[in-house]
Amino acid sequence: MADESAASHVTPPPRARTDLITAAALLAFAAAAFAGAWAMPTFTERGGDPFTAPGIVPGFHAVVIGLLSLVLGARAVLRGALRPDGGPPPDWRVVEGASTLRLALAAALGVVLVFGLVGRVPFWAAAALFVASFTILFEWPLTPRGKRLRRVAEGVALGLATGFVVTLVFERVFLVRLP
Amino acid sequence: MPQALVMLGDAFASLMTVATLFNVAWATLLGIVIGALPGLTATMGVALMTTLTYRMQPDAAIQILICIYVGAIFGGSRSAILLNIPGTPASACSTLDGYPLARRGEAGRAMGISTSGSWLGTLVGTAMVALLTPTLGEMALSFGSYEFFWIALFGIVIAGTLSGGDALKGYIAGFLGLFVSTIGQETNHAYARYAFGDPDLAGGISLLPALVGAFGVAEVLQVMRGPRMQPVAATVDSVIPRLADVTRYWRTILRSGLIGTFIGALPGLGEDIAAWTSYAAARRASKERELYGHGSVEGLMSAETGESACVPGAIIPVLTLAVPGSAPAAVLLAAMMIHGLNPGPMLIVTAPHFIYRVVAMLVLADMAKLVFGLLLVRPLLWILLVPRERLMPVVFVLCCVGAYAIASRQFDMRVMLVFGLIGFVLRDLKFPVAPLILGLVLGDLLDKNLLRGLTLTAGDVSPFFTRPVSAVLCAITLGSVLLSVPAVRARAARLLAR
Repeated sequence: MADESAASHVTPPPRARTDLITAAALLAFAAAAFAGAWAMPTFTERGGDPFTAPGIVPGFHAVVIGLLSLVLGARAVLRGALRPDGGPPPDWRVVEGASTLRLALAAALGVVLVFGLVGRVPFWAAAALFVASFTILFEWPLTPRGKRLRRVAEGVALGLATGFVVTLVFERVFLVRLP
Repeated sequence: MPQALVMLGDAFASLMTVATLFNVAWATLLGIVIGALPGLTATMGVALMTTLTYRMQPDAAIQILICIYVGAIFGGSRSAILLNIPGTPASACSTLDGYPLARRGEAGRAMGISTSGSWLGTLVGTAMVALLTPTLGEMALSFGSYEFFWIALFGIVIAGTLSGGDALKGYIAGFLGLFVSTIGQETNHAYARYAFGDPDLAGGISLLPALVGAFGVAEVLQVMRGPRMQPVAATVDSVIPRLADVTRYWRTILRSGLIGTFIGALPGLGEDIAAWTSYAAARRASKERELYGHGSVEGLMSAETGESACVPGAIIPVLTLAVPGSAPAAVLLAAMMIHGLNPGPMLIVTAPHFIYRVVAMLVLADMAKLVFGLLLVRPLLWILLVPRERLMPVVFVLCCVGAYAIASRQFDMRVMLVFGLIGFVLRDLKFPVAPLILGLVLGDLLDKNLLRGLTLTAGDVSPFFTRPVSAVLCAITLGSVLLSVPAVRARAARLLAR
């Protein structure tokens, strides 16, 4: 289970300052989580055992996360996080062809599907719209001008086929009522 | 022993039906395809199929999931050999020698080695499941709350230590997972922790949507950001394994099989660690070390045997302790629970025959893998050529349906997406995601047993440290943490060298 992604080698390891900022965010999260755990009722007034209080376990986890984030922060400082340049640059060979724009587009389309389309339009239509727009948008820059219309048609066909087949299989075969 | 053999025979007999063999065939083939396609992992495949099979009979559903798991881990080596991109993380090690073999025109031979190594590895691992699971199960019967608390913590620590290079970030990810598992109603007072009045949050964060998000959606995003991949070979030579390749390296196969099974049986490690460890051990013992990394048959054989032996190995703690040995095994554990099979220490008492049925299922999946591995090389080459721009949106839609299908909650789709984004950001910051998910799996075990232990002793924590098994588990856990500190490790190495 080491590196779960086959494609995660495209970004460099974070600089020490990034680790310091991450540690600060984690510490804030741990403090908020601990405060939440502390505020939970203990139910002792109803005769409950104090050692079954709901806040004990999340409080324990929050304390450990807080301590570990302090260690992460201290390590980042030792590695030069407070230097003007934010620490030494990581030893890293740039991977050609990686694109943040593609990443942002894929993430945005996913958010639109889950938070915008599902539940508002029938699932087959949501899936078709998502798959068609995903395929068309990503293939557009790769397609020669003369073949673009054909690619758009293929994208629409793939979208409709996905929406139809997924809905058919899940609703008719696996009896799942899709949103 | 005779009783075990009778149960094993019964298990094989009960599975020898047309319907079962049909399920074995299509599920293993689907697993191989899932594993071969970069962007689809074994975890994701098993998670998606869990949602599709949960209305089936338990035996049929578990058989299908085991076939997907076995097939996917094997299938990853196809893209590792042909694309130099592992189809699943488990196959990363296979790129070291598989890809150089393919580049010099021996792609078919490389796939033959991969098939035979993988087949033998799973056989070795399966034999260990049959031999060890009943014994370990009986040992686990004596475990109490204190021991289970340490097992949960040990799982997090060992996954954090070995899963991403930076142990500290692994521990943080693991404890974040444990924390997330506390969201929602707890069992003692039905109090909704961190729900903020939201009924969906009060229901808790389910494992499968989180898993599909962290391993599926995050992977889709990674693949779409990364460069395009091209196969090194459009045609291949003969894939029939050479007997000489197998007989010459029988020691390596046996060693890698045992290492793979052992790594699999440790909570939270998984196939990739098994492959790397087997590879390193084979290299150390090899007489042809200089060939490693340049197309070594022995190197590829060791990696494939190790990763495939890990699959049955990872099922051992699932059956005996209800603790997963790998990420796909975590989903398998969840699926067994969904089907009411109740894996864990009581399984040896309530359903000992199920252990042998799993052994028979593994053997059937392994045989199907061998057949498809040798027959379907060229069709798999075509599948590898499907452009990511067309494959990934379909995968994303399947992730959405997979997350939704079990509980029919739209909230689960949102959980999936949020975990996908969290998983992606964590990977970018070089936090391993596997401990996060393992934390989510083990959270309930830790939560219940910590509170139960404290309640039994009225707050006295000493039994957590003084009971014999607890003390050993505590020492191993703390030792693992200490050894992850570079200065301590260096000092320990110096002491050992004296």
